[in-house]
Amino acid sequence: MGAKLKCMWQDNSLQSSYDAVIIGGGIHGCATAYYLAKEQGMKNIALIERTCVGYGGSGRNTAIVRANQRTQANLRLHKEGLELWPVLTKELDFNLMFNQSGHLSLAHSESTIGAFRINVSSAQLSGVDCRFIDARECKELVPAINLSRDITHPVYGGIYSPPGGVLRHDAVMWALARGAAQHGAHIHEGVEVTGIDVSNNKITGVRTTRGKIKTPNVIVAAGGYSVQLADMVGIKLPVHPLTIQAMVTQPLKPFLDLALSSGAYDIYITQTLKGEIASGAHMDEAPNFTSAVTSLCLKHQAEMLTELLPCMKGARFMRIWAGLADMAPDMAPIVFGNDEIQGFYFNGAWGYYGFKSGPIVGKYMAQFVATGETPGHLEQFTNKRFAQFRYTGEKAIPAEIGPWN
Amino acid sequence: MFTITCPICGKRSQKEFRYGNEDLGPMPPRERLTPELYLEYIYSNGNRAGVQKEWWCHKQGCGSWFTVERDTLTNLQVNTGEKK
Repeated sequence: MGAKLKCMWQDNSLQSSYDAVIIGGGIHGCATAYYLAKEQGMKNIALIERTCVGYGGSGRNTAIVRANQRTQANLRLHKEGLELWPVLTKELDFNLMFNQSGHLSLAHSESTIGAFRINVSSAQLSGVDCRFIDARECKELVPAINLSRDITHPVYGGIYSPPGGVLRHDAVMWALARGAAQHGAHIHEGVEVTGIDVSNNKITGVRTTRGKIKTPNVIVAAGGYSVQLADMVGIKLPVHPLTIQAMVTQPLKPFLDLALSSGAYDIYITQTLKGEIASGAHMDEAPNFTSAVTSLCLKHQAEMLTELLPCMKGARFMRIWAGLADMAPDMAPIVFGNDEIQGFYFNGAWGYYGFKSGPIVGKYMAQFVATGETPGHLEQFTNKRFAQFRYTGEKAIPAEIGPWN
Repeated sequence: MFTITCPICGKRSQKEFRYGNEDLGPMPPRERLTPELYLEYIYSNGNRAGVQKEWWCHKQGCGSWFTVERDTLTNLQVNTGEKK
């Protein structure tokens, strides 16, 4: 029935040696492959993926992008990342369905307002368009919002950031993988890495379920599984792989133009073009490698959504799924490479920020691998910060911190 | 959602418990404590895909801290000591 579907990228045979092997066919891996092949002129590279491209967190997130993070290091990175989406749409010749709808993050207490004021100021200092708005303006932006004082977390105001928005994550994955393949990278799906060979503190190769590959460079970009790959070369990281659940309702009439998030209610939602409300929840507490979903999470989301947006009462959830995210204790990524083990590059612990940062970090990772020097944008994310007891301070909006302390 | 078996209260929903990280062994003795050792003691997670020994606190129950062995691939506890 219908036309035969063709794979969007060429199927190459697995060579016995490559100049670089990227482990993980998610958004970070594909973007790294794309920029290595396109901008750094490394054509003999392989991307190894255990299942299929975009099967993990890259295809399970809620695809919200924004650039109003907390720390300067993250801000400048995500600002560039946000500006990259329209460029990529053109460059990759693929409709990524970038809908720059704006992003509204709600404050539910006086102390959160204080934390948000710091947040807004640092974002504005980095040139990110965002401002603090009061509850009345929130209502103007999202008329469905419940401003009653009698709810669990009454709305006090929020950060409105017009450049934020939402994309289609599958399209991003397909386009990046196709782009990488067009520039000469080999994409191998269904190949699992079983070991990484190191001799004299130098990467010599990768062992896979389809044989050994000789390579001087290994880039780990395997999301939730990255820590295990680091473990293969003896690097222990203070990371927890945790599941995040997300769900989608039946299609509803359009009532939500922008991406709406609330820390207190533990929700971040968008309305898709089909009218479904895609909603993401908080992380599970205990590290695990499952993709288990829970009825408790559904119940929690239903309660929270209907309280904040009463018009959603009676709407049904259609699907729920879970994906893995790896989280460092300070909620900031861990990126390092080419130090103790020459040719070993690690890009992980992106936690909630994996999708937003994908292409821009891929770009800088490619530069990192080609030069062997850490690009300035990634310097702060080194794994050495834990040994120096210097956290990055990205921990999401600690409400007790404000301009008064 | 999964269950954790508290040595005092028995098998209860995981939501009643607080996760207290993997068991990284006893704290190094204070007289030998260096920044490197301390770092290893608090941070060197194994993140095993399989059975790992970890700490839990029954925060909504008896409040006790105890270790369990849980398979991180299935979220099932092993050797709970309870009759099947």
